[in-house]
Amino acid sequence: MVRDYNNRHALEQKLRSAPRPAAADHLMVGHWRAMATVLARAGQAEAVRQSIASVPELSLRFSGPGEWLVVSEVEAPSGLVRRLEELCDGGAYVVDQSDGRVVFRLTGPNVRSILAKGIGLDVHPATFSLGGSANVLCGHIPVNLARTDEDTFELIVPRSYAESLFDDLMRMGRAFDLTAAFSD
Amino acid sequence: MSGYRLSSGGLIDRSKTLSFTFDGSPLRGFAGDTLASALLANDQLLVGRSFKYHRPRGIVSTGPSEPNALVTIGSGARTDANTKATVAELYGGLTARSQNRWPSLAFDIGAVNGVLSPFLGAGFYYKTFMWPKQFWERIYEPFIRRAAGLGRAVLERDPEAYEKSWAFCDLLVVGAGPSGLMAALTAGRAGLRVIVADEDFRLGGSLLSTSETIDGAPASVFADRTVAELQSLPNVTLLSRTTVFGWYDDNVFGAVERVQKHVAEPSSKLVSERVWRIVAKRALLATGAEERPLVFGGNDRPGVMMAGAMTTFAERYGVAAGKTVALFTSGSAGYRTARTLSAKGVAIAAIVDARAESGDQAPDGVRVIRSASIVDTKGRQRLKGIVVERSGFEELIACDALGMSGGWSPVVHLACQRGAKPVWSEALKAFAAPDVGGGLRPVGAANGIYTLAGCLSDGAEKAATIAADLGFNAVSAAVPVVDAEEASSFTALWYVPGAKSKAFVDFQNDVHAKDLGLALREGFGHVEHAKRYTTNGMATDQGKLSNINAVGILAGMRGVSPAEVGTTTFRPFYTPVSLGALAGTARDEHAAPARKSPLHGWAMKNGATFVEAGLWHRSAWFPRAGEKTWRESVDREVLNVRANVGLCDVSTLGKIEVFGPDAAEFLNRLYCNPVLKLPVGKARYGLMLREDGFVFDDGTVSRFDEAHFFVTTTTAMAGPVMAHMEYCAQALWPELEVRFTSSTDQWAQMAIAGPKARAVLQQIVDGDISDGAFPFLSARKIVLKSGVAARLFRISFSGELAFELAVPAGNGEAVADQIMEAGRPHDICAYGVEALNVLRLEKGLLTHAEFDGRVTPDDAGLGRMLSMQKVDFIGKRLSTRYGLTAADRMQLVGLKAVDADKDMRAGAHLLKEGTKPSTLNDQGWVSSAGFSPVLGHAIALAFLKSGRERYGEKVIVFDKLRDQEIVAEVCDPVFVDPQNAKLKA
Repeated sequence: MVRDYNNRHALEQKLRSAPRPAAADHLMVGHWRAMATVLARAGQAEAVRQSIASVPELSLRFSGPGEWLVVSEVEAPSGLVRRLEELCDGGAYVVDQSDGRVVFRLTGPNVRSILAKGIGLDVHPATFSLGGSANVLCGHIPVNLARTDEDTFELIVPRSYAESLFDDLMRMGRAFDLTAAFSD
Repeated sequence: MSGYRLSSGGLIDRSKTLSFTFDGSPLRGFAGDTLASALLANDQLLVGRSFKYHRPRGIVSTGPSEPNALVTIGSGARTDANTKATVAELYGGLTARSQNRWPSLAFDIGAVNGVLSPFLGAGFYYKTFMWPKQFWERIYEPFIRRAAGLGRAVLERDPEAYEKSWAFCDLLVVGAGPSGLMAALTAGRAGLRVIVADEDFRLGGSLLSTSETIDGAPASVFADRTVAELQSLPNVTLLSRTTVFGWYDDNVFGAVERVQKHVAEPSSKLVSERVWRIVAKRALLATGAEERPLVFGGNDRPGVMMAGAMTTFAERYGVAAGKTVALFTSGSAGYRTARTLSAKGVAIAAIVDARAESGDQAPDGVRVIRSASIVDTKGRQRLKGIVVERSGFEELIACDALGMSGGWSPVVHLACQRGAKPVWSEALKAFAAPDVGGGLRPVGAANGIYTLAGCLSDGAEKAATIAADLGFNAVSAAVPVVDAEEASSFTALWYVPGAKSKAFVDFQNDVHAKDLGLALREGFGHVEHAKRYTTNGMATDQGKLSNINAVGILAGMRGVSPAEVGTTTFRPFYTPVSLGALAGTARDEHAAPARKSPLHGWAMKNGATFVEAGLWHRSAWFPRAGEKTWRESVDREVLNVRANVGLCDVSTLGKIEVFGPDAAEFLNRLYCNPVLKLPVGKARYGLMLREDGFVFDDGTVSRFDEAHFFVTTTTAMAGPVMAHMEYCAQALWPELEVRFTSSTDQWAQMAIAGPKARAVLQQIVDGDISDGAFPFLSARKIVLKSGVAARLFRISFSGELAFELAVPAGNGEAVADQIMEAGRPHDICAYGVEALNVLRLEKGLLTHAEFDGRVTPDDAGLGRMLSMQKVDFIGKRLSTRYGLTAADRMQLVGLKAVDADKDMRAGAHLLKEGTKPSTLNDQGWVSSAGFSPVLGHAIALAFLKSGRERYGEKVIVFDKLRDQEIVAEVCDPVFVDPQNAKLKA
């Protein structure tokens, strides 16, 4: 995704050095990802959910009753807001969060062991299956956690916490030689 | 006694010799040894000195109940005091030191306390150090503190890393002995997610120290086979070196794993210890049973140990406790030990059986003395003989080790940590686990089953029941056959009468039987009182060996059943856990996350000094070359904003987007002032109250369109305000259609303040922002000339012409740079929260320094904001309480220092001139203070009794902390531009 104005990523400082070759367990930081909070109006939650879920390139993350974070890897922030407003057709309010959240994608064979060091949620596939998402704490940091693949999880964190979460995740993955880089 | 390594046997690797030192002496052990077994194999009997009397002490047990063999392991910052040698895994290069002795373990000056012991009985300190009162803090406490404590903590920074981890399972098995392993195997095969935790470095529990055979093979072989199968199951997690220390709400267990305490050179990638929080649907307590010591004269002589410990040393570690061993028992266990040792070629001096008869089999040719007891032991730093008493006849029997066994107590600590008390069982002659529901059940020996076959089948049955409960198809595992097991029994023997020397109940805290009698005589007979009076069970072992005997002895003294005496309270932790492990990663800069503003990088570039405000790191001031103190920078920033223009990062304020047809009504009820008719495109100052009428938070409300409001909160209250709004929307007024979400992190927000603010901003904003087009309190979505979509507010927290510009967080730094560039001809400066604070102080604007939870709107001079004609708002009803409208409440005023060179500090109190500082004379307090560079003297905001009527009066500002009194004049809290001429320019 291209942005037309000088936009500074929250982790530019942290990830500036040349990345090591990705290890088996790897942390990818979504360089730019469009994201929006969708707040369904009274009685519209199911209709809103369905209409967004029908679009394959939009990923729904549960963040409260009738409330989702919608993530897109193709749209620009303003485009995503317009798209969602059209999709919901007055059934929901849409708030751009593209600059307010940072996406971390954690992948690898030890990903569950790494997450367990900060997150008190059972992410065994039997209880947290593909497509599942939840608001959790990672240590002291509020995170929206989603399983996007068998061994891949995405953590969406408020921008102001991004550096601290990055440090925490790298520490949680130290025993497994976790590496990190911008994803694009 | 003379401990020695048997020529063969044991689960040690005799091909791997490990060198270690004890008190500097080089010694050798084998892989698979504990420090205790290696010390015993080296005939190091004396391992410590007791706490109070400094008596020589030796190893008593082979597990976590060990009261005596406490040593300091490691050196430098990696020193661990009070480590139990019985659970310390031996490694090459281990260095151990004995404790509580000076100058040496063999010759200890402190042993003089033993001579003084007639004066040092229970309660000695309480009775002696009572008067005079002024000695309490200066003399007695330092003295007692110096005497207290075993071992010495090092004061260096702990170099180890620690962490915590969550785990979830269907079944947690605490303990990997026969019951635990069998339960885990049954549940694991059925497909349950199983976690097995055991404190030992080798899984197997009592299977590793019994001579019994299972399916024709040694029990340890069965253990190894079972562990191997469990390891192969993907649904089973085995945690060795992991002590489950606590049981908490919702069946959550705390455990500590010693990840690399057992290696000489720890890997930097791994932590030293890891605390597990294990969420278990079901748990089985397979913690086994603890053998009871006997309370007889001289029972603390080095060489006296638990009979079961002798068996374990022999079977598991291939170590004999002595060359000639005697046993003192009230049950089968003593005989079992005699058989084990005898089979390994150790001479048995005698079995002293307290019972008149029993069916237990002594080894061939071993003398059994029935209805007998031991009344004294001989030897000094090692046992040389025992004095056996039988019907008035005393006999000295030579021996170099004595095994004692007073029966068994199920280890039920975890089950009793959430309030349930253990239940006395007459059949078991022990306290059994209480029924705490299906979440946690005792199994095997912890359930009072003492045969190996019984433990195996109890484990299998309990696990199968749990599997069925949880909806799994339990495959009934064939319970292996135990070959030729002898029945086991004992009688309870709490106290052996006729002691000729001290009969210790609690070895670690040096409590002997007579101390308990003294407690009872002096009115401390309740088990909880007796514990505190005598300190029985209060040492680091928490009375694992001593508590049951203390209860039995108290019961005997009072002539009641142990059931009536009851037990003391069980609490986490089962065994001591290092503070580092409990802190985990939350230390130093990781103790709390740091929140950084999107303008953090901009502030760094501009040389900011940061201040921690809650989790946020905010730019506090921006020093320039030549400025030596923060005040110089702040004064310059303030004057520059008043004269020219400044840019301040205000991104940390809470921001909430509020939507819905009822959003206006919703906010109208939240704020005490009117919001309902706020026009689109306008902002308004808003004040929220608590239900009790005091100020909760303040901020701004802006309206972008009919159904979209934007609310700001103070930085500190962003979270609480959001929670308050959720509560109001969900619980108080669910009928209102309103939705809201935080957008705090989405926006980089900057205040551009000063007479030249418009001139600067106009260069980057697309559109007219003149006073006519964009008057005070305008709030609009705009576009910058660069194309960035932004929000612009004409609000001011400085009293100057000011705007707040919000841009998407990622654009913040670039936009701020651009404004600084555009402002250069206008002498723009960056200013931080310190200057922001001075600017608002000069204008009498308020923060949470004023809104401290005791302040009503009227106290703060904002009484006119209360819109009492509104039908309702939060805080309305209670605002009219008498106390909240009283005329003599503390009211906000300004203070001007009379002497320009004197300063004031927040927290100082106000006094009338000529009065002495006292609570009675207190007239109020200073809430904020600072130096006004505009006025050239100190100013303050303060709350003063009936303050608004007292402008012009002189008061004393009394600062007890700095021991300073200055005179100040009471004035209007707005010091600068009271007509707001600059604001509306």
